Amino acid sequence: MLLDRRNFLSLGALTALHQLAGAKPHHAPKAKRAIQISLVGGLSHIDSFDYKPELTKRHGQALGGDAKPDVFFGQVGLLRKPDWEFKKRGQSGLWVSELFPHVAGVADELTVIRSMVADSANHTPALFVQNSGFQFNGYPALGSWLSYGLGSVADDLPAFVVLPDGRGDPNGAASNWNSGFLPAQHQGVIFRGGDSPVRDLFPEKPVPPKEEVDSRAALDALNALHLAKSGGEADLAARMNSYALAAKMQLAVPAVADLSKEPAKLKTAYGLDDPKTADCGRRCLLARRLLEKGVRFVQLYSGGPIAGAPRTSWDAHENVKENHGAEAARIDQPVAALVRDLKDRGMLKDTLVLFTTEFGRTPFAQSAGNVVGTGRDHNKYGFSCWLAGAGLKPGTAFGATDDVGWKAAEHPVPWYDFHATVLHVLGIDHEKLTYYHNGIQRRLTNVHGEVVKGLLG
Amino acid sequence: MPRTLSLLVALIVSPVALGAPPDFDTQIAPLLASHCTDCHSGPKPKGKLDLTRKAGAERSIAARKPNDSELYSRVAAGEMPPKKPLPAAEQKLLKDWIEAGAKWGTDPIDPFAITTKTRAGYDWWSLQPVKRPAVPAGANAIDHFVRKKLNDNGLSLSPEADKRTLIRRLYFDLIGLPPTPEEVAAFEKDTRANAYELLVEKLLASPHHGERWARHWLDVVRFGESDGFERNAPRPTAWHYRDWVIRALNADMPFDKFARLQLAGDVLHPADADAVRATGFLVAGVHNTVLGNDQMRAIARQDELEDIVGGVAQTFLGLTANCARCHDHKFDPISQKDFYSLASALGGVGFGERQLPSAQHAEAVAKAEAKVKAARDALEALESPARAAALKARGVKEDRRAPTPVAAWDFRKSADDLVGKLHAKPAGGAKLTPDGATFDGKTGFFRTAPLSFELKAKTLEAWVKLDSLTQRGGGVMTVQSPDGNEFDAIVFGENEPAKWMAGSEFFRRTQALRGEVETSTKFVHVAITFADDGTITGFRDGKPYGKGYASKGPVEFKSNNAVVAFGVRHEPVGGNKLLAGTVCLARLYDKALSPEEVAASFAAGSVFASDAEIDAQLTAEDRTRRANLRTERDSAVKALAFVRALVVESKTYANVPLPPGVTKVLFRGDLATPGPVVSPAGVAAVRAANPDFALKPDAPDADRRKKLAEWITSPRNPLFARVIVNRVWHYHFGTGIVDTPNDFGFNGGRPSHPELLDWLASEFVDGKYSLKGLHKLIVTSATYKQASALRKEASAKDAETRFLWRYKPRRLEGEAVRDAMLSVSGLLNAEVGGRGFSDYRERNFNGTAYFEPFDPVGPEFHRRSVYRFAPRGANQGLLDTFDCPDPAAAAPRRASTTTPLQALALWNNGFALRAADAFATRATKGTDGAEAQTRAAWRLALQRDPTADELKIATKLVADHGLKALCRVLFNGNEFVVVE
Repeated sequence: MLLDRRNFLSLGALTALHQLAGAKPHHAPKAKRAIQISLVGGLSHIDSFDYKPELTKRHGQALGGDAKPDVFFGQVGLLRKPDWEFKKRGQSGLWVSELFPHVAGVADELTVIRSMVADSANHTPALFVQNSGFQFNGYPALGSWLSYGLGSVADDLPAFVVLPDGRGDPNGAASNWNSGFLPAQHQGVIFRGGDSPVRDLFPEKPVPPKEEVDSRAALDALNALHLAKSGGEADLAARMNSYALAAKMQLAVPAVADLSKEPAKLKTAYGLDDPKTADCGRRCLLARRLLEKGVRFVQLYSGGPIAGAPRTSWDAHENVKENHGAEAARIDQPVAALVRDLKDRGMLKDTLVLFTTEFGRTPFAQSAGNVVGTGRDHNKYGFSCWLAGAGLKPGTAFGATDDVGWKAAEHPVPWYDFHATVLHVLGIDHEKLTYYHNGIQRRLTNVHGEVVKGLLG
Repeated sequence: MPRTLSLLVALIVSPVALGAPPDFDTQIAPLLASHCTDCHSGPKPKGKLDLTRKAGAERSIAARKPNDSELYSRVAAGEMPPKKPLPAAEQKLLKDWIEAGAKWGTDPIDPFAITTKTRAGYDWWSLQPVKRPAVPAGANAIDHFVRKKLNDNGLSLSPEADKRTLIRRLYFDLIGLPPTPEEVAAFEKDTRANAYELLVEKLLASPHHGERWARHWLDVVRFGESDGFERNAPRPTAWHYRDWVIRALNADMPFDKFARLQLAGDVLHPADADAVRATGFLVAGVHNTVLGNDQMRAIARQDELEDIVGGVAQTFLGLTANCARCHDHKFDPISQKDFYSLASALGGVGFGERQLPSAQHAEAVAKAEAKVKAARDALEALESPARAAALKARGVKEDRRAPTPVAAWDFRKSADDLVGKLHAKPAGGAKLTPDGATFDGKTGFFRTAPLSFELKAKTLEAWVKLDSLTQRGGGVMTVQSPDGNEFDAIVFGENEPAKWMAGSEFFRRTQALRGEVETSTKFVHVAITFADDGTITGFRDGKPYGKGYASKGPVEFKSNNAVVAFGVRHEPVGGNKLLAGTVCLARLYDKALSPEEVAASFAAGSVFASDAEIDAQLTAEDRTRRANLRTERDSAVKALAFVRALVVESKTYANVPLPPGVTKVLFRGDLATPGPVVSPAGVAAVRAANPDFALKPDAPDADRRKKLAEWITSPRNPLFARVIVNRVWHYHFGTGIVDTPNDFGFNGGRPSHPELLDWLASEFVDGKYSLKGLHKLIVTSATYKQASALRKEASAKDAETRFLWRYKPRRLEGEAVRDAMLSVSGLLNAEVGGRGFSDYRERNFNGTAYFEPFDPVGPEFHRRSVYRFAPRGANQGLLDTFDCPDPAAAAPRRASTTTPLQALALWNNGFALRAADAFATRATKGTDGAEAQTRAAWRLALQRDPTADELKIATKLVADHGLKALCRVLFNGNEFVVVE
């Protein structure tokens, strides 16, 4: 079934969400669902998950080497040591800095990739690559591919849910969770706060409950008459069914979005009662509930629009200490709480957690050549992401950057490989999950991608 | 292969006569080409083994000794091709060939020579000339070919649909709106033999026909009204193209002309505004405006060209030529050289807004400009002697004829403007010293009052002393919008250390000036001129600084919407935008100074007569005259701005040609590995129309695109006609004869009715490319007029209805659903053409545009959906759920999904509920009682009367909850959104 879905486009195959539920993966999956925490703007790996004692030693020196680094703003200052202290954590002794003290507490669950490389050092193309494997608008997001390949576990919730930062959407907005050329049903669905977490879940203006019920019944009865007249057209029956599923969604969505029944202690653990962490905490807790109820893929953003002052993303050109300090304070506790909560519920073993950023930051400051400035520029040559759960090797780090954290030096992992690995963990062969569009069987990994075996347990 | 129509697959494996050795050209060469030469070819073949040439392959072959031949032994060992071992039969073929003596044939191997199991060659079906098949006399050709195919498969046409079904089908298909109850009644009563044909003609003549079919075309060309990528800036004048398409289709412009104008209208008919509008096609796609350094810029341009080449080749030829950017096409006979030849032909395509040619407008602007010039000249004539006298009074020897600025500052004395009212004020700790305005590089800068005039062409000039030569990015002088989001600035060392550059937001107008590295920490004179045509030129100490370059044209700062700042690149302050240094003198001009003028100004230095000094030299009478002349000049400037603003509709987003340069093949698509230079040309495999443009590699843009248009639209180009008739068929029936309308290559579909496709193509060319003629031909066929009822026995044989044994029912597209709701509810504003409407709230956040959907009320928003502003990356709840594509990529065939989110949107969306209420109000008018109102609603929405069963269900609902509840139900019913 995964091999050829072209027929969906022909008329005889109007599809409903539920038709994909339980679609068979290519091989036994380690994970049934996944959540991605996407840090927008570029997290500094050398200040967080990539410990570089040599960088501290060489603080204030020039990077050296032959070629002048081609960074976005063209300013290559002197090397700058991390602004946070690194410590060995947990049983595993994994190095995590004090930028993420709470996440450090679950270090034994993490599998850090320290040798990520990106295609672009330009935010939006880099973010698009992270999401879809292409630098351009119009390609399906990872979540859309998962929705297409695996469907939703539940028939009353969408397969792919997006939880943007409360401060706004990242640049590119919906292009980041668009289904591209895949059918519209695979698009990421945004859950927001309030009584109607999903757009158009309930009538835009009040309709009395009795009228609502009677109207639905009348619609059903009239459609049934029309269906009989048509000779039992399958597409028409599917359309009737979509209204039945919509009604189920109207119950399921508010139920899953209602956090009020969660224990107060847990809400505190997620940071819901602290204004700094409340936005991310609410979304992390909601994400867990969505995963629990059968959503296949949740994407949660840390960081809104990129440009501007004050910054609302991780784009620490001016001052890493201030910017990363403030951004981490918003998400550190909620993210750690999410990992713990998944673990406590026994969900971590078959849930894949991804903690990603579109690129890293330079080990040298973004300042004049003879100065250790306070900010860092974009770095596509080496950065860190981490994964957790789903039977990966916990408490370990994979790959390495050079001595100062400038470029990946061991096992470079491009996004294609990252995506191939994520699909593999979810039971999908990235070369077989294809969709025909304008001349080519498209894949998330284009014509690239190798599963990173070193990450697997 | 995932194709289902195996009977049509044209792959023929030539039978090998028993005992005869395998033939090289027809068997071995295709095998090598399919499995080996992807890696083993080119300037750097893998393992230094080139299997495309006899000389390259020889060392791997020992004739008659397969086991000693590496070519065979590595294959037999399963090592080659890596990961994909050769099937046993093909291994045997290779072995047999070597055993028989390994006789080589055509050298080198042309991988495109013939079609194989894995790829298409020159003999691919769609590349062959169109052959007009014979049709029995008196027969309808379409029905003849369809019946033939049905007969072959034991199927038959369905009977003709009833009149109400036919009129509803025709209306939605040809104009995208439902018929009114009166129109249905009239048609049902019309007993004339040609009633149907008359109806078809009426609909094809309707102005709404162009709206309906323009929407289809806009899908194909991925027409979007924002740039995409990071900034996603809106394109407020892109609608001209959409409008042109509607008008061209309504006028039944011959399709070859329609294509030519889109490819080259601006150079074929430069004085024709419509021809310029048509080139919106070339720039309908995405455009990256955040480009970073020069390398990123160059890569982005290559990406852009790939998208443009792909757009052109897929739209008009059904060729995915874009797939040959990094290597020869993996499936079709399109070489990398072909790709770069097309890229060369399109190398001059540039994105932007341009003035539409309009004699009237040009005249009005010229008149206003002349008035400004006259006022300025008169003022200059009066001031010039006074200035000379003032300078003389100060002891300056001669008037050095320095040009007159619109503002000037001498910071050694004060921060006041010596010409006008642009007095500057310090901010963030900047201060005036005897040396001038001094900046610390951290927080300090000066800002002036807002400009009281409009500023487009401009010159910024300053004398500046740098505190350090290693500082990066500080601005000396900038003209910026008040929020700093747009600016033109003199900037030091931002992109390249110690070099001067013209700073601009996101480097939009910035390129390297290529001047020398700055070595002076004394006062230097720096000037940058921004000409009306976009040329930006730098000067240092009065001499040209490097070379000028072309940009997209200067920013036009509106009156009261710009300030000048010193010591900062642009606001808000922070990062590396601030300068450490001192500015002593600065001047602003409202034109691009000539090199001579810059030299004169530099030579004049601080020798500059201030406003007060000039006044002092004049008589009281002349002072009054001067004041009057200034007022006159100012009002002339305002009048000019007004005239320009009046004709704002005369700008369009279209092709703004760039110097096309010379194109080289890029191995692996990489700019670091350039190959041979190519000339603009077509795809070599399309041989019937001569793909050689006979142009030099550096031919002008106009020649390139004219030739390209000529080649594409040549009557001998078999793809041109086949692709468009197939598209038209696709929209009439829901599936094309080839079910991949943008891809007639190996990966695309095979024609379900090849003879019909060729007959239509040839008829279309003979019919002078008339699209309306083609529509009429199709919709008057018995094939089109069939009923849609499901026939179980036929469905069992052909569930997809590919053989057309019925008219397959279709769910309406999102736009048609919305338009039908507007029409049925009486809300529709049927105005045709012009600027569209937007149901997005647009938010600009630091230079990035965000589009948030809302539900605006009012007739201007109740126009047809084709007039909706269509930015990229913007969710629009209702239409999105109905598969309206994001214009990020071409959508030659839309998905048609049915999902709970779609149901929720149609059931609950604010617009849908509002339309249902209006529908109820309309159906209530002139009717009395639940039953009469129900009947009226039925006729409006479904063009028929309700049955007794339906009436029972409906009147109960109306009695309990009112007519609006029923109207909502009708809008959501299957019958409303499906065309049968």
